[in-house]
Amino acid sequence: MTPFGHPPYLFGLVPLLPRFLVARKARPVSTETSMQTTILLNGNATAQGLKVAELTDGRVTIETGRERVTGWPVPATIRGALSALALAVLALGAAPAPVQAETLLNVSYDPTRELYREVNAAFAEWWVAQGNAAPTIETSHGGSGSQARAVVDGLEAQVVTLALASDIDRIAAAGKLPADWQAALPHNSSPYTSTIVFLVREGNPKGLADWGDLVADGVEVITPNPKTSGGARWNYLAAWAWAEKNGQDPQAFVGKLYKNVPVLDSGARGSTTTFAQRGIGDVLLAWENEAYLALKELGEDQFDIVVPSVSVLAEPPVALVEGNIKTDAQRALATAYLGFLYTPEGQALAFKHFYRAWDASAAAPEDVARFPDVDLVDIASFGGWSKVQPEHFGDGGIFDQIYVAK
Amino acid sequence: MGKPLVHRSPMPGLGLSMGVTLTMLSLVVLLPIGALLLRGASYGIEGIWDTVNRERVWAALLLSFRLSLLAALFNLVFGVLLAWVLVRYRFPGRRILDAAVDLPFALPTAVAGIALTALYAPNGVLGSLAAGVGWKIAYSQWGIFLALVFVGLPFVTRTVQPVVEEIEREVEEASATLGASRLHTLRHVIAPMLAPAALTGFALSLARAVGEYGSVIFIAGNIPLKTEIAPLLIVIQLEEFNYDAAAAIGIAMLLISFAMLLAINLIQVWSRRRIGHV
Repeated sequence: MTPFGHPPYLFGLVPLLPRFLVARKARPVSTETSMQTTILLNGNATAQGLKVAELTDGRVTIETGRERVTGWPVPATIRGALSALALAVLALGAAPAPVQAETLLNVSYDPTRELYREVNAAFAEWWVAQGNAAPTIETSHGGSGSQARAVVDGLEAQVVTLALASDIDRIAAAGKLPADWQAALPHNSSPYTSTIVFLVREGNPKGLADWGDLVADGVEVITPNPKTSGGARWNYLAAWAWAEKNGQDPQAFVGKLYKNVPVLDSGARGSTTTFAQRGIGDVLLAWENEAYLALKELGEDQFDIVVPSVSVLAEPPVALVEGNIKTDAQRALATAYLGFLYTPEGQALAFKHFYRAWDASAAAPEDVARFPDVDLVDIASFGGWSKVQPEHFGDGGIFDQIYVAK
Repeated sequence: MGKPLVHRSPMPGLGLSMGVTLTMLSLVVLLPIGALLLRGASYGIEGIWDTVNRERVWAALLLSFRLSLLAALFNLVFGVLLAWVLVRYRFPGRRILDAAVDLPFALPTAVAGIALTALYAPNGVLGSLAAGVGWKIAYSQWGIFLALVFVGLPFVTRTVQPVVEEIEREVEEASATLGASRLHTLRHVIAPMLAPAALTGFALSLARAVGEYGSVIFIAGNIPLKTEIAPLLIVIQLEEFNYDAAAAIGIAMLLISFAMLLAINLIQVWSRRRIGHV
């Protein structure tokens, strides 16, 4: 803390979160003030119902009894003219009981954009089917570390779904959730897992089959900076694990590997862009889901996926941020949201978005068959994040020495 | 030196306007910088020195300031040229070009960075041409230089433009009728008039380039000791919650910037004294 007691980002040390990253919160309208509101939909159609939420851009959401619609509120002068019509409409359908729209902010990391877009829609549908009001769910994405910092610095996320347990540990250290948060949900609070694979150019022109091939002269490897990217730490550890299992000096091996890196982006998405769109490098070390996504988005005729002999079991954990839960209703929503990730439907979505999940009962068979068996090393075999983080990625740690040595 | 110490201004309202100005300046500029220095003070000189005195930090500082200086020099030459052309010549599309000068101000820096990278990457439109002659632009120091030129150019052009508009052609004509060559006129008549504004623009462009992060990060490559800029090191320290170390690097940048700007100011004072007040 600064001498003035302000959070440090006030002083230009940390750029304030750009506005577009901060989720648009729908302000719940308390039930006492809920009243009939007329809104203008696209074109000239209007709808009328109970106002349930006001969005920051001036639009409002109303509950008409049949559905929820969002549009621009119609000024009172026009409303007068419409009210006669509205009364007629209201006479047809009884006014619904006023409900409160709950909001939820999920702060996530980069590669989950597509996954949570679908999860949010599916969950909202399921939540309404349970007889609840339609929730407003916002998801913010960015580098896992900076997302964690944003939550520590006051971004009001009720749910975090990040790349590394150590990132959520930081939020716990700031007192926003209990230190034993990882025991709260099954599988170390990781509803889906992933691993690190190689994405190579079509036909694998350099013949890269395993980690050992990546340190050859003339091979360009694209991976993000482990100091700023959670995924990049897994890349680094996977290479380290391979060297250990193959009797090489891991530090020297990883050092050689990073000497072959021409661009060190700050996040996983940035690296994918550098490799796929800018045509830099021979191999991208990528999350398995990012690699498949690149194939899907950019064409299967552009790249191949190579699965190395050894890789890591990456467990991107999820947690409820106790400190940011305002009401019991919000707690129920957030708990259900995380629980939904473990349901067969949620798991099927994870499979669909190229994550390895636990429960394949509702998943499409081709989504499950996609994943070959790999020798996976988990973080515990490295001694856990609390040991790995300072030793390898801390200030002056092994990763820093790679560049300064020699 | 023979002036009285207490100088009563003939202008009314000085006390009030001075108070408002100083308050605003304190709130907007001095307080944040003061807070940064205070944070550094609590960290201690030794701590700051230990943080900064590392090969990687020196390399990043050197890179940032060297490339910012080069980009500002480039902008000084081409910004003045651009201002001259925009004011003195009439050609189709002049207004559009004039408006386009402000684009680097309006464009979010990240957008600029991504656009520049897409253009100059080895598979980009311009990058592929450069790659043909074995010249790597994106993901090298050239890329950083380019991004810094892009964000700094309007500063020079916009500071010099009004001054160019003020210069009357008669001055040049008088110089010519007195037998001066074009080059002589340029050196001894035009340049001294433009120098103060151009230097101000140069200083602004330099200051902006030193702190630039958004546009550079996409095109730099960010390889430690080679293409890693100082602001990125600050961000990395923040990622690790080392606010003290981040403040230390920030203070180092602040001191170097201050020294540079002071030097530029001294040059300005000297040039004014040499040519009298313009």
